[in-house]
Amino acid sequence: MKSLAFVLITLGIIAGSPASCLRADDIGLRAWELEAKGDAAGARNLLHREAQSSSATPDSLKAYAEFLDRHHDPATRDAYEKVLAASSGPDKLAAARRLLLLDIFAEDRASAAKHFAQFRDAGGADFTLPTKQIAPPEKKQIVLIPGPMRSFSRMAALSPDMNPDDLVAALARNIVTNGYQATSSNEALEQTEYLKLVVRYLTQARELDKLAGADKIIKIESCDSAQTNDLLRVLGYRMRGGCGSDVVLETLNATRAFLTIDSGFPLAQLEQALRTNRPFTYDYKPTEVPVLYGPEYWLSAKEKQNGEFIDAFIGDPSICRLYLGLSKLDPQTAEDLRKTVTIQKIRAFAHVLDFYGGMFDIRNGKAVVPGGARSEKAWADMVGVSPDKGAAFFERLVAREDGWMASYFDALGRITYSPSNGPVQQYLTEPERMKRFYAAIRGKVTSPGPARPVFRSNTDMMLLTTRLRLDPDGHPHIPGGVDVWRKLFTNHPQHSKYDAKLTKAAGNWKDGDDVLEALFALTRKSVENEPLKIFLSLSDVDRHRLKPLDAETADRMAREFAQYGAQYSLFAEATDLGNGAINQFLDAAEEVNQIRDLGLRANAAGTYQSLVAIWQILYRQGTIPTAEADASLTKIAALFGKAKNEREVFEAGRTGVKALLAATHSPADASPQDRFIDLLAGAAAPSDADSHLQMVEEMIRIFESQRLISLKTIFDLVDNLESLSRGEKVNQQLITKAAARIAEIQLPRASMSSAEKNSMAFGYWPEKHIEQQRKLNLRALIDRSATDPKKLDDIRGLLAPFLRDTLVGLTYMHYAPPGAQILHTNPLFVRSHDFIGLQGSNQTWKNTEVLGGGWPTSAGGKLVGSLSGLPYALAEAEQNFLIPSREQALIWGDLVPQMLVSATVPRWWNVSPSQLHWVALHMNYAEVRMAEGVVSAPQRQAFLDALDRHAPPARVRKIGNLLEMGEMRSAVENVMPSEMFAVSMDLLAANKNDDGPIAKEIRRESAEAPKDLSYDAVSRAFGTPKPTLANSYSPQLLNLRTFPTLMGYSSRILAESWESNLLYYAALADELQIPPSQLNVLVPQWTQQTVEKIFATHLEDWPALLRSLRSVGDDLRQKSRKQTSAAGGE
Amino acid sequence: MNSIRKILILGTALVLTAQERPTFRVKVDMVVLSFTVTDSKNHYINGLKPSDFRIAEDGIAQKINTFGEGNKPPVQVLENGTTRPLLAGTPVPTEPGKDEAEIRSDAFVGTNVFVLFDTSNYMYRGFVYASDAIADFVRGLDRADSVAVYTFSRNLSRPAPLTHDRSEAIFGLRKAVAGDDAALYNGLLLTLRDASKIPGRKVIIVFSNGPDNSSMVAPDDVRAVAEDEGIPIYVISTSEVSKDPVSSNIFRRIATRTGGKAYFAKTWQKQVEAFESIREDLGNSYTITYYPQPNPNEGFRKVSVEIASDAGKKMRVRARPGYRPRSGF
Repeated sequence: MKSLAFVLITLGIIAGSPASCLRADDIGLRAWELEAKGDAAGARNLLHREAQSSSATPDSLKAYAEFLDRHHDPATRDAYEKVLAASSGPDKLAAARRLLLLDIFAEDRASAAKHFAQFRDAGGADFTLPTKQIAPPEKKQIVLIPGPMRSFSRMAALSPDMNPDDLVAALARNIVTNGYQATSSNEALEQTEYLKLVVRYLTQARELDKLAGADKIIKIESCDSAQTNDLLRVLGYRMRGGCGSDVVLETLNATRAFLTIDSGFPLAQLEQALRTNRPFTYDYKPTEVPVLYGPEYWLSAKEKQNGEFIDAFIGDPSICRLYLGLSKLDPQTAEDLRKTVTIQKIRAFAHVLDFYGGMFDIRNGKAVVPGGARSEKAWADMVGVSPDKGAAFFERLVAREDGWMASYFDALGRITYSPSNGPVQQYLTEPERMKRFYAAIRGKVTSPGPARPVFRSNTDMMLLTTRLRLDPDGHPHIPGGVDVWRKLFTNHPQHSKYDAKLTKAAGNWKDGDDVLEALFALTRKSVENEPLKIFLSLSDVDRHRLKPLDAETADRMAREFAQYGAQYSLFAEATDLGNGAINQFLDAAEEVNQIRDLGLRANAAGTYQSLVAIWQILYRQGTIPTAEADASLTKIAALFGKAKNEREVFEAGRTGVKALLAATHSPADASPQDRFIDLLAGAAAPSDADSHLQMVEEMIRIFESQRLISLKTIFDLVDNLESLSRGEKVNQQLITKAAARIAEIQLPRASMSSAEKNSMAFGYWPEKHIEQQRKLNLRALIDRSATDPKKLDDIRGLLAPFLRDTLVGLTYMHYAPPGAQILHTNPLFVRSHDFIGLQGSNQTWKNTEVLGGGWPTSAGGKLVGSLSGLPYALAEAEQNFLIPSREQALIWGDLVPQMLVSATVPRWWNVSPSQLHWVALHMNYAEVRMAEGVVSAPQRQAFLDALDRHAPPARVRKIGNLLEMGEMRSAVENVMPSEMFAVSMDLLAANKNDDGPIAKEIRRESAEAPKDLSYDAVSRAFGTPKPTLANSYSPQLLNLRTFPTLMGYSSRILAESWESNLLYYAALADELQIPPSQLNVLVPQWTQQTVEKIFATHLEDWPALLRSLRSVGDDLRQKSRKQTSAAGGE
Repeated sequence: MNSIRKILILGTALVLTAQERPTFRVKVDMVVLSFTVTDSKNHYINGLKPSDFRIAEDGIAQKINTFGEGNKPPVQVLENGTTRPLLAGTPVPTEPGKDEAEIRSDAFVGTNVFVLFDTSNYMYRGFVYASDAIADFVRGLDRADSVAVYTFSRNLSRPAPLTHDRSEAIFGLRKAVAGDDAALYNGLLLTLRDASKIPGRKVIIVFSNGPDNSSMVAPDDVRAVAEDEGIPIYVISTSEVSKDPVSSNIFRRIATRTGGKAYFAKTWQKQVEAFESIREDLGNSYTITYYPQPNPNEGFRKVSVEIASDAGKKMRVRARPGYRPRSGF
């Protein structure tokens, strides 16, 4: 909880003299009590009344102003004005300073000038008002695109929210990635349908432009006027019926009509005007689009003759790629490069600039290189030109080895400092080491270069540099030690070789650098890089472990990676598991794998994996004490090492449930079903019961939709069977209950024909599993068994599939994405989980995959593989049920599931309000430092230097310029919440003597609750799961630079590097006084809203995501203010 | 549930115990049943009265609560079988003891028509003609009807939410953007979810080329939702039956089982005719409501609608075959 002292200070109560502030103290305390109870409206009312009263004191005015300030209330500035008028001395200075900063936030220049004068009058001396002006529009070199921006954006798949300055670059990206395709017959490129439509649209737009005349307004006076037919002809429509209410527009020319509708021409409005015989006007002014360096720069003399800039531009993908590359560069760097190198020369390396130019930075004529001054000489040696020569250095860098050196530069430049990794950049840029590793990467043949594809296909180098970890002794962490890696390379687990040369060299490896050198060498390979995956996975297992994996365990894990690697995320998350538990888990997995009967294997694997998955959830939530983690998992794993038939699988499942209940210290008489649902819903405090109940209800709804049999019914039934052999009576009620549920199990609807099944070998095992359950006639079996213990025992085995489904269902319920349409609609979704997979592939221990979507003859999509990737797979399956709020869906495959996972995996039952507040304070601190940067050059530089460690040079420069011009809002919009948080941490660490109010509050809060407010604790509370990047579902913050678009298995990394949502929501919840427990219900809803509002142009369009995030926040603020007003607030 | 909440808000329970757990049970909601009656030549039979019908669920006779024909205002059916008009804006009568959310009688005047327009890549060629045909259909709807225009490709989009204003619906329709994968059954499911929140009579008209390459739900799972909600689905496929037999069969099955119809209309003219047929169906259908009599069956309940008179034996009733009662807290 927020400390009382803090709140009172914040409310301005402690600051005044005891006598003068007695009343304010009282009001402030009462307001705080109201706010703490969740009655913000009451607190606001109280403070407002006091501030309005004739006896208002400066302190009570200040309390009210600061209350409004904390809640980002629009009335804040007015309230501070009153404080300013009523105060004197330091309070007056503080009020003037705050008003000045609020003016800067609001970009109210006139008010800022006024308050700046008052700030100076009150004794302030450290600020100056910005004088730099925005470049006047006429200075920008523009081209005209016919028709409105909105229409062109629709046709070219660009977000209409985009800043016009960025339009040509976004268009260039779309042309590069989607505009051309290779023809089958030769290497020439041909236009895709997307680009053909853009070209056709431009033609139609020009015709409409002509009709619009000199004033660029399309006008139709009346239905029968002369222009009507001309316009309709261009649009591809004609009138049916005579002018008047009968007139209807219908398609005459389908090609033109398609463009008309697809570009959003207001056809319905035109039709309405014709029907009512009213004039129709449509503003058809062309879109003015700024072009980097002006259109002349981009076109050759020949191209200039071929029509307008836009036609020539989209007609040449190489120009587009160059434009894209240069637009990513820091403007000053690009300008230096452009002045030094001819366009023809740069054009040859456009692809390298596109991928790697974003990290190029020239300052004061010198190239900034990874490693700084210490590494400059090495860079000069490798590139052949000194970094002192700025543009010439980069010119040579992009040309070296078809981009390999630039990719190395980029990979090293992107490394950010992380306490858990250590000073990796410093290590890797040690001159000799840097050269050595590059030599390994370079090899002898350098073509094709890494930038030849349109998306980065080789991400391994970047993953290696950003995820490498140094041990406390400064050496790279090699999981298990060098021996493990030497043996892995020399004695390949599948009896082949990773690389002949490396295999030969491995015998002589002595230290970690030898292993790293090999790993760097393998990053060149375009085929799957298994050693790197093993290295990163085991490094992540060791990363937060007090005692690293021993050599034997690491060796086993490396060798069995192909089979069980997907399960290692469990060990990366559960850092309390020892080598014994890990080996026990793998032993049991191996035993399950040995089961020949695939149906039995599926039941054993499903039961075992679901128990482990539940264990993992309870461990993550802290319900299983860390001291008991190892023993409890070991116990569960041991059960499945012995299960050889259905009866034993059932027994292992039942004993596993008991082990979990014991590990969570559940009451002995607790219903296992109810207890599991309670535990999976989360460990709620009494005050959080309402949120907890909502979670429980939703889980029960899903359980019922899936027609699963409760654990209690299953276990009671088995108990009853056991008692029968002792001569007791059959519990008819129980059997009826179970039989009724079994009767509800339906056949998979519209399942595939035998031919389809045979051809695809997909869905066979789940169907068999379901059929087996449907056929179970419990009553008849019991009747037949009479009191024969053997037969009754066999019935127990028949319940094994039901127990498996119930346990699997519990894990599905826990990770259900918002809406959970599939789980509510397909009653067999859980039962259909395929633990065997496609014939011959053995997916029992592989990552969870979604299969069967878009195949109407199947019984709907289903999940295949183990449960290790269940949260992501469920989110992936559900993502297309989200409904974009705009007319065009530009939701993309990898981002949305990851955003959903970030809302379903973390839980906030154990998060304290002070943690929310701590995040909010950091956000505010960074914003205040930004605002101060508007009026103080040194402050600005300090902020930019901190930001430089997290954001690319181009964006840092842009933000610097915006701050210099006083464009605070635009500047804030260019900084992501995760960057705000990280910059704030950095600035606070660097300025331990900062005596500003927020810095003081942060320090005070931290001192009061050092454990809760440590970086690690906040990282766990508001970080995101990163199953690909960190090989773990454990929520955490990594503070990495946002990754670029990638291909292959690492494509999810782009989304995983986005860490802003939860930090933003945390600050929002603090501002709106929402208790942390409610985040368990609200975050999934907010995330859904955020996704539905995203309208981005391309995969790296983070500003669009940020806009959507902020829009959700603004809506909630507005709603909250309305509620406050409705509740009686002013 | 409210009482449970109150207890928990007071903070007396750390976690829910078994006794406090909310009870999940089958709810008995008012059933809305729309159907058409035709003769042997497929001509609509109009003018039938409530007493002409025998409604049964799993063979258990049901008592009709309200009765409506076409777009005429509905009437309340009294105990003695006589009827009396429902006053506009008054709540639909409920049975004593039934905890039913208030539904106003206006809700049963006209039909809530949800048009679900396929704007995926599969519709690329016929997109503009389809748009024209839908616009004509919207214009020709009865004044009492409301209409929503939804589109789908990979995701659902709601360009025109439910409205009485035809222009608004057409404005939305003409804003549709073409392109992307087709997730027809996902889109249909979401449309059903929206429609189920609206009281009164509703239908969904799917206008699609047929193929689906993105849905995660099976067509028959979606059909089951439509059956349970009592929402007939009409399908206009712009593909020939023989071209895509899988989709054609699914369309037929969905339409038949929900009380709708499937049309295969490749040309614009055929599409217009299909829409005309749907409009006729809407104008010539009967809508009754009833509260189910006690029935232990919590699974699928078979509904039968019979004409009481001898003449009725030659008549054909087209209605959904049954439903599953809702469940919840």
